[in-house]
Amino acid sequence: MLRPLRLAALLGGLLMSALTLSPAQARDIDAAGYGFPLTNPFEATIATTPPDLRPKLPLDEDIDQADYTLNIRPERELILPDNFWAVKKLRYRLAKQDHAAPLIFLIAGTGAAYNSAINEFLKKLFWQAGYHVVQLSSPTSFDFISAASRFATPGITSDDAEDLYRVMQAVRAQHPKLPITDFYLSGYSLGALDAAFVSKLDETRRSFNFKKVLLLNPPVNLYTSINNLDKLVQTRVKGIDSSTTFYELVLSKLTRYFQQKGYIDLNDALLYDFQESKQHLSNEQLAMLIGVSFRFSAADIAFTSDLINRRGLITPVKYPIREGTSLTPFMRRALQCDFDCYMTEQVIPMWRARTDGGSVLQLIDQVSLYALKDYLHSNSKIAVMHNADDVILGPGDLNFLRKTFGDRLTVYPFGGHCGNLNYRVNADAMLEWFRG
Amino acid sequence: MAKKYLLLAALSFTGVAHAAQPPSTATDPDGFKEPLKQLNFNPGLDQREFERSTLSALEVYDPLESWNRRVYHFNYRFDEWVFLPVVQGYQFITPRFVRSGVSNFFSNLGDVTNLLNAALQLKGKRSLQVGGRLVVNTTLGIAGLWDPATKLGLPKQNEDFGQTLGYYGVPNGPYIVLPIFGPSNLRDTTGLLTDYGGEAQINFLNVSQESGRHPEIIVLRGIDKRYTTSFRYGQLNSPFEYEKVRYVYTESRKLQIAE
Repeated sequence: MLRPLRLAALLGGLLMSALTLSPAQARDIDAAGYGFPLTNPFEATIATTPPDLRPKLPLDEDIDQADYTLNIRPERELILPDNFWAVKKLRYRLAKQDHAAPLIFLIAGTGAAYNSAINEFLKKLFWQAGYHVVQLSSPTSFDFISAASRFATPGITSDDAEDLYRVMQAVRAQHPKLPITDFYLSGYSLGALDAAFVSKLDETRRSFNFKKVLLLNPPVNLYTSINNLDKLVQTRVKGIDSSTTFYELVLSKLTRYFQQKGYIDLNDALLYDFQESKQHLSNEQLAMLIGVSFRFSAADIAFTSDLINRRGLITPVKYPIREGTSLTPFMRRALQCDFDCYMTEQVIPMWRARTDGGSVLQLIDQVSLYALKDYLHSNSKIAVMHNADDVILGPGDLNFLRKTFGDRLTVYPFGGHCGNLNYRVNADAMLEWFRG
Repeated sequence: MAKKYLLLAALSFTGVAHAAQPPSTATDPDGFKEPLKQLNFNPGLDQREFERSTLSALEVYDPLESWNRRVYHFNYRFDEWVFLPVVQGYQFITPRFVRSGVSNFFSNLGDVTNLLNAALQLKGKRSLQVGGRLVVNTTLGIAGLWDPATKLGLPKQNEDFGQTLGYYGVPNGPYIVLPIFGPSNLRDTTGLLTDYGGEAQINFLNVSQESGRHPEIIVLRGIDKRYTTSFRYGQLNSPFEYEKVRYVYTESRKLQIAE
């Protein structure tokens, strides 16, 4: 007689505890209702959203915007060779409203400058919604390393965030009359990881008191991400042999495509049309293409960091470089270095020298989202949007995000790496997060 | 006996479970789709295709490199300090329909050389299309200020004398960075001069003759050209921008010639 009662009590208790104790669930967007047409993560990463599914945005010439320069590290004027004249000062772009408005900072992803395609898209989106927008280069980009990075060796996320913070303060100081109501912060890819660290820094520095922060496709474990990206150039690609390189293969496909089409028409829809054609690229070829673009970033970072710090790994220490000097021999050397090589040869030795040693595992913990777990968990102003098929994630990363962010995490079923940021549904969700 | 059945049942159950889970769509309990598992990797992960491709892409005949690089930096500065500010001023003082009229006008003018070169390459269909564009845009489009031809299904197709030479097998020759004009090579520079010469001879709509008396027409054409060209120096944001531009220029010309 007592037994069913006890059972009921037990069940009731379980239910209660489930209701009260279980953490808030992440928002998982249903694949069927989502409507994003590119279910292949590699296609999505490269082509991004088809033009007619993007939000309607203003033209560049209708936006009140300009590029500005900051002289953050005047000593670089002397350290950098002549042909780096264009990156001795840091550039950023500001799009203004003609009335008091909130301001949002946007941080670009790996190797990307302030005017990267995604930053431009986000600028238009937020400007249209009534924000002042400041676009910043990634701390890993050529111009930022040269003009704004103290150690000129990006990869230690907390140092990168500190550099970014100084830049943001300088931006604010350069526009004292701009009427700003509140500050917001966002970034995509590596820029999202940077944004999380910048937000943490702001909790003590208090220059901005960010009202809300949004991380778009951040790496969770930086080491997993760079290993995944390094691995992409290791796919087994059909059609490559001793007489045909990968680039020649892709270009010959492109040539045949245009020949069949009858004329060259470069537009936003080109990539979909190309992937629909007979000449379309396989997953391995697409992955290789993504890997190639990241390898070029790695080469730029390795070369620039080595040159500024006079490490002598790529450019001989006293090698004279003028405007006419060929950099091709150094490019040849730099492109042999992937992210892992850059970390091993440049970041880790510098970090060890500066912090009295420490294991690589410690470093990974320090530079990844793990370092901010408690902060991110307890702070309701920070949200994440990510994709279930993002190539920079590894097993367990989504679990970390789910546990850390709870219902402030949105997981989209498709989109690859940042391929759905310019999808209307995602754009609306971003604006909604900052509005709410 | 019972144990045996249990074992059998368990075995068949795992069999079913395996069958129900195709490996390609496997997701882990967090919902992660492991996109890298969809790919075939080179087993040793020691392929050097990126290095091989890129090293061979750096092989562009460039004996004048030192000079070219200096011109490249000159162009970069000219762009930053003169060209782009002028284009901005132009954008500021003219309404959009004026700018698009100017662009269409010069584009229509360019269709004369496009037609000539399509004909020189004996491309019948293309010559007809470009000729059709010229007729439609010069008449209906009022001397080319509008571009109704594109809406009628006759898209713009560029053919220049450099492409014509390439079509008949003339090699690139050394890579040359031209002051203000930017990346080129010996063949395309020859083509450029020939096209301008031809244009002056034909004197379509009297523009070449008037340009002699009113150099501001040439200036406007230059501004329009910069206004319609989206390339910005520093846009690749790489210390190796010179190499990358050189490669992209060379390959895109190959593509234009082949097509």
